Amino acid sequence: MRSLRVLRGYLFTVLGIAIGVAGLVALGAMSERIVRFIEGGDRFVLGQISVAGRGMGMGTGFTAGGILPAATIRAISEVPGVQGVQAQIMLPLDPSTSQFMTVTQELVLGMDLSVPTPNRHYRTLPVRSGRFLRQGDHKVAVVGASFAASRGLSVGSHLMLEDEGYEVVGVLDRMLTAPDRFVMVSIDDARAQWVAKDRLLRTVLASGGMALTASDLNTGAAVGWRDGDDPDAVALRIKERVPGVNVQLPSELSRLLRSSTAFFSALLIGIGALAFVIGGLSLANTMAAAVFERIRDFGVKRALGATDLQLGREVLAESLAVTMVGGLGGIGLARALGWFIDRYLAQAQQLFHFSPRLLVGALAFSILLGAAAAIYATARVVSLSPAEAIRRGA
Amino acid sequence: MLRAAGLVKSYRAPAGTPIRVLAGVDLTVKGGEIAVVTGPSGSGKSTLLNVLGLLEDGDGGEIWFEDTRVSALGRAAKSRARGRYVGFLFQSFLLLPSLTALENVLLAARYVHRSGPATRRRAIGLMQEVGVADRMDHFPAQLSGGEQQRVAFCRAVLNDPPLLLADEPTGNLDDANGAVILDALRGRARAGAAVVVVSHRPEAAVGASALYRLRGGVLESP
Repeated sequence: MRSLRVLRGYLFTVLGIAIGVAGLVALGAMSERIVRFIEGGDRFVLGQISVAGRGMGMGTGFTAGGILPAATIRAISEVPGVQGVQAQIMLPLDPSTSQFMTVTQELVLGMDLSVPTPNRHYRTLPVRSGRFLRQGDHKVAVVGASFAASRGLSVGSHLMLEDEGYEVVGVLDRMLTAPDRFVMVSIDDARAQWVAKDRLLRTVLASGGMALTASDLNTGAAVGWRDGDDPDAVALRIKERVPGVNVQLPSELSRLLRSSTAFFSALLIGIGALAFVIGGLSLANTMAAAVFERIRDFGVKRALGATDLQLGREVLAESLAVTMVGGLGGIGLARALGWFIDRYLAQAQQLFHFSPRLLVGALAFSILLGAAAAIYATARVVSLSPAEAIRRGA
Repeated sequence: MLRAAGLVKSYRAPAGTPIRVLAGVDLTVKGGEIAVVTGPSGSGKSTLLNVLGLLEDGDGGEIWFEDTRVSALGRAAKSRARGRYVGFLFQSFLLLPSLTALENVLLAARYVHRSGPATRRRAIGLMQEVGVADRMDHFPAQLSGGEQQRVAFCRAVLNDPPLLLADEPTGNLDDANGAVILDALRGRARAGAAVVVVSHRPEAAVGASALYRLRGGVLESP
């Protein structure tokens, strides 16, 4: 009861701390969101060698290449060091949008399910409900979390892709990276969509000018490597031995990805640092002011026999409680704000990621800084004589 | 109980010149005695009480509580000595606004490690004696000046200190409440405590064992 009253006495201090921590956590959560996106992409590109047909076809994805025929895929699989080649098709869901990878682009990913996924970091994708695709699946889809949320899809829902109905058999966990906006289908279904989307391709196929079969319609391939092999060396070997392909070295692609997002990273680091300093100063100032306000009380307590140590312990306990409540309140406030924005303003995208490390870090930061500020202020106060403290407090 | 010899204390004026407030004060108050100190405003009465009660250090001189030369103690030991030997009564009561009347009284026990049911019973008993037991759950802002000073008195005597220092204890009270407080102080002296009262009011001198006037930084018998 008395503890609650003590906290009530610190109401404005708690509110001040809560607002400072909320700002810190909200900015940190946006930063974490971008970091997770970049890290996810990085893990993906470092887990496989991405190969595409040479040119700038309809196919999108990491290489934005042209057609990768079946014969080329076979040739890649025969390169020493290669272990597992999975033909894939990546198509923009809406062809009127840019073909280049953007943060929010929705993609259709067709996968050859007869081959295990070669990506070392994503052997399987985490399914939140339902199941992942299986070999032999036809007109069924697994959708990413953001994709599902933006359209209200769940397992059993139906989805129209190029005028064809698909049943949603699985929804992925939110991964905070590209697959959140993917629709995954079998490669045969993706080939049918590609032909339906691409008038030029239809014309070429109808003319019979190119000797193409369905299995030649791939926009790229995910290539694995044997244990112990250097993926960059294997990628270079593919480049040398297989003509007509775009090969991305995993390390080079990782560098490209990181440099393309470096501006955002720097911006967020700057904002985070600013929030850290401003939030920290505000918190420390609020806590120290709360102690200085009670200078007369400290004088009285010392007149009653309190030692510096006793007062220090008392202030420390109170400041820990106040910053803990303020910090938790701030985290709650930031989470509520994040939920509201994600739910109503961000069109099913997740803009905030409240990672455990962020929440624990923000709470620990606020508690330690609050305690340090309180101890500093107490040390200043107890350096006065009790009579002086009472005089100044009056 | 209290013995002070050659107390000296100066303050610096804003211009930097020293102002000597105490210029060699000698004072002895035994248990059961009441010493009343009078003097004009600014004569240094409150400073004397603060130095005697270890609320601020003098520039020179010695203070003894019983057989302990407390003026030579370190900060923490002085704090403990205040808790053990001294009860303070201030003109402006100095109750903590966030605590109830009872909690204010019990605060005196917290720092001398006497908190417990027996102390709580004693606090309530003291509040009954001075007629504020029915206000024990009220906050200072909800009490009249007379009630606040009675609560402050209970806080000052909760630990049964052998020395009571009262700085204008009736300065903010009407006559009736002032009389209650002065009676209570005389009661503590009868119980064996040494009491030093600084006051303007002539009635404070009633029943005093010794009456002093602080003039020119020294105590004079009128």
